[in-house]
Amino acid sequence: MSLRRFQCAPHLAILPMALVAIVAYLGAALWTLRISLTGSRTFPSGRFIGLAQYQRLFDNERWMLSLHNLALYGVLFIGACLLIGFLLAVFIDQRVRGEGLFRTIFLYPYAMSFVATGLVWQWLLTPGDGIDGAVRALGFPGVRFDWIVQQDMVMYTIVIATVWQASGLVMALMLAGLRGVDPDIWKAARLDGIPAWRVYTRIVLPMLWPTVATVLLLLSTAVVKLYDAVVAMTQGGPGTASEVPTKFIMDHLFLRSNVGLASAGAVVLLVPVLALLAPYAYARSRKEAA
Amino acid sequence: MLGAGKQSLRVWLCALCAVVSTGAAAAPPSPRAEVIHWWTSGGESAAVKQVAQAYRGAGGDWVDTAIAGGDQSRAVTINRIIGGKPPTAAQFNTSKQFLDIIDEDLLNDVDDIARRDGWDSMLPEPIIDVIKVRGHWYAAPMNIHMQTWLWYSKPAFARAGIAREPRSVDELFAALDKLRAAGLVPLAHGGQAWQETILFSLMLSNLGGRELYLRVIRDRDQAAIRSGDFRKVLLAYKRLHDYVDAAAPGRNWNDATAMVIAGRAGIQVMGDWAKGEFTAAGQRPERDYGCLPGLSPASPYLVQGDVFVFPKTGDAATVRAQKLVARVVADPAVQLSFNKLKGSIPVRPDVDLGQLDACARKGMAIVRDRARPLGVMEIYLTPDQNGALQDVLTAYWNTDMPVAKVQNSIASALRY
Amino acid sequence: MTPPIAQPVIESMMEQPPPLPLRLPPPARARQRSRRRRLTPARIGIYAFLLMAAAFFLLPLYVMIVTSFKPMDEIRQGGILALPHAFTLAPWRQAWSGVCTGAACEGIRGGFWNSVWITLPSTILPILIGAVNGYALSFWRPRGARLLFGILLAGAFVPVQVMIYPLVRVMALAGIFGSLPAIVLVHLVFAMPVMTLLFRNYYAGLPDELFQAARIDGGGFWRIFLQVMLPMSLPIIVVAAIMQVTGVWNDYILGLVFAGRDNLPMTVELNNVINTTTGTRQYNVNMAATILTALLPLALYFLSGRWFVRGIAAGAVKG
Repeated sequence: MSLRRFQCAPHLAILPMALVAIVAYLGAALWTLRISLTGSRTFPSGRFIGLAQYQRLFDNERWMLSLHNLALYGVLFIGACLLIGFLLAVFIDQRVRGEGLFRTIFLYPYAMSFVATGLVWQWLLTPGDGIDGAVRALGFPGVRFDWIVQQDMVMYTIVIATVWQASGLVMALMLAGLRGVDPDIWKAARLDGIPAWRVYTRIVLPMLWPTVATVLLLLSTAVVKLYDAVVAMTQGGPGTASEVPTKFIMDHLFLRSNVGLASAGAVVLLVPVLALLAPYAYARSRKEAA
Repeated sequence: MLGAGKQSLRVWLCALCAVVSTGAAAAPPSPRAEVIHWWTSGGESAAVKQVAQAYRGAGGDWVDTAIAGGDQSRAVTINRIIGGKPPTAAQFNTSKQFLDIIDEDLLNDVDDIARRDGWDSMLPEPIIDVIKVRGHWYAAPMNIHMQTWLWYSKPAFARAGIAREPRSVDELFAALDKLRAAGLVPLAHGGQAWQETILFSLMLSNLGGRELYLRVIRDRDQAAIRSGDFRKVLLAYKRLHDYVDAAAPGRNWNDATAMVIAGRAGIQVMGDWAKGEFTAAGQRPERDYGCLPGLSPASPYLVQGDVFVFPKTGDAATVRAQKLVARVVADPAVQLSFNKLKGSIPVRPDVDLGQLDACARKGMAIVRDRARPLGVMEIYLTPDQNGALQDVLTAYWNTDMPVAKVQNSIASALRY
Repeated sequence: MTPPIAQPVIESMMEQPPPLPLRLPPPARARQRSRRRRLTPARIGIYAFLLMAAAFFLLPLYVMIVTSFKPMDEIRQGGILALPHAFTLAPWRQAWSGVCTGAACEGIRGGFWNSVWITLPSTILPILIGAVNGYALSFWRPRGARLLFGILLAGAFVPVQVMIYPLVRVMALAGIFGSLPAIVLVHLVFAMPVMTLLFRNYYAGLPDELFQAARIDGGGFWRIFLQVMLPMSLPIIVVAAIMQVTGVWNDYILGLVFAGRDNLPMTVELNNVINTTTGTRQYNVNMAATILTALLPLALYFLSGRWFVRGIAAGAVKG
């Protein structure tokens, strides 16, 4: 293979990617890091104040609560999406009638934005006006679903609404993975007399690992970026109970005119992400080299 | 070579002629003003249309850019200033937020119009303190809002047997008790952080008084924050929580006003933008609803206002448009027509008071007494400090925080 | 991303020449014939689960549709799930052409074409560039490409809000802030990680012999891409298009900041309608406006959902 062919065209072709990765992503990351060490208020300034913003950040109850909320939300959201998405995919894969219709019903929430659906979910979950009011009107007095106004339970309502939106996509990805499973496996399992559920858990699920890995990646990015749902449903309330890091950052960027603190928050948010990705990337590159 | 040189010289001369001739032949176009604001609801739309029409009547071209939500609107304005495509004018609140923009030298001033209209003697002092920085005027005030009016439903008061308006904090609690006994919702409230801050401001200004208010909010005096008087204010604020119904969290302020309009709730503490709701429902002040500016004859009148700022530009046409906007905004007729629809009061005392309703007239009379107006918290605190204080207040409202811890948290929030 | 266990499975999948959807029907038909009339408790359980799940998923849409046809008095009386008594089309007319979004009261129809003009280039450009990136990463592996891809993947985790300030500055420097090119570029920046990932996974699933054969035939970088790879990428292009159209059409914050006054997308108008700070909330108009704004992505899903799943099956998830 002539070396000349390799030099020009592929390198030129990935020039846009290089520009975006270096200027936009790396540049933004370095800029944010620099600003987090300054006393910037409404506008980015060059006044270096060392690690004072980070000190203030970890003194801030609202920030610590947002991190705690994000961790709780992440575990529940990813777990619920995987479980529901997998179950839906398995059940749809059973040659049910109207498969296309079911699939559309489960996928359409992904097409809608939370500016709109957040309002509807807030309404549905409002005690008195929402679902529990309707259930009570049907003749079940004493039913009360007021998680959305309770300090300890409000994050669960956000989990419900976002799982509603994302499970369809997980289902589609899992369904594609399931359809890729060799039907001979089913035949062999039936011949051996293994019950269906055990085939799923012991054999199919491990085979779906690449699919699950992609799903985990997509869902994790969605967890870190959680913003629209919180703003549309609870505005971070009641009080500050449903605060999440991106909302903290956004509020301090513009509303509270404290770009320095917001940048420090962004750096703290992304460090664990990078810490998780780096060993994974290292392991993969070693595997590909081997 | 020489031929080419002469050729290009001719081209340049022709171009120069063209520029000069078009400049001389064309008349100056009508001043075009792009204005960013967040008045997007029906009533506010009607109010800002008054200003737009007056501007067009004065020969200008008003280009309206409305963005719902004050925070988003201000964020867009700031981003456009940074991005190099600033609007001609932008709406801001009277807060310290645009101090940073002034520090970065990104605003034009309106000194000439301020001097001509005598704003020094006309405007309430808290507002002057915000828009006049280092001797220059950097914003054109559109209106004055008061944040802690008490709106009450006359039918609800009648049902609860409340004979006269409460004239002290204790009488307020007595009235709330009577409303609860009558089976009504005593205090209509929307559970959002800024509304809880309004309740706190009511208690701090009425129970704490002007001195304590200024020492805590303006001076951020740590001793005042930890004092027994401030503790009483916090306890009274928390006590109001008992009079709020269970579905309050997250409720929008106008849904709470609707409760008072319908007579299901007795009192709401809200700024005078609530008046528009009553008017839209066909109710009249002193007949269907009452408006109290405070709980004593000399209670502080907490003012805030909407102002227009003018991003810096050297372009003569834009500066002309900015000056025209400032003149139109300060015009008495426009002040009257805008504020009638918006619910706030005009910044000038020389408007035709007969056209304002009873509540607005009360407000105008109070503002004329230069000792009573006091700024809302965001006039004295930076957005950051204000936000941090709000976080503590809303946490205190929603949880069982002990009041000593609240005082400590407020002290550290206002320390940075 | 391919652990040892899955490796033989994937290799066996790659040995089968035709793509997945074509392979599936015959065994399915055979199985269905033997299972058709058996309504066992297991099948009833399956249908019950699916129907309950469908009810959960359809609930918000039902509320939105039902509310948009009710007059305000009916809404105030409560009963969020009740069907409208006094069916009315006024909220829809109001939402499209009458509701106030500022000093102008012309409804949200103004934003529709802006959204279209933003969405078209913001879909085509990222797909093209993502395809080229994935192609280069899978087959050619130029120096440094993997590092760049790693940076992109890490960047996929960065929330939009964090990047606003730097991007505003960059756009200002380039002199294009507040214009259509600016918003398209910004969408390109945020779409690149996922688009590159999709195409790279897809091309990694294609047999290497295809590429080698094309090279032996004398194809260069661009010729192989345009004449061999791109025509084969139809399933994944459909997936990428659906994801990107949905994301761009529903975007609010980027359009608000970068698009400039004359290009504000429909979501900004929608937000102006829904989140006005004063005045009674006209829930029915809000719901009608919401459905109008969501019609395009919804229609896209209803019409092409099948290809979406097929496209994913054809290769989006392999390692």
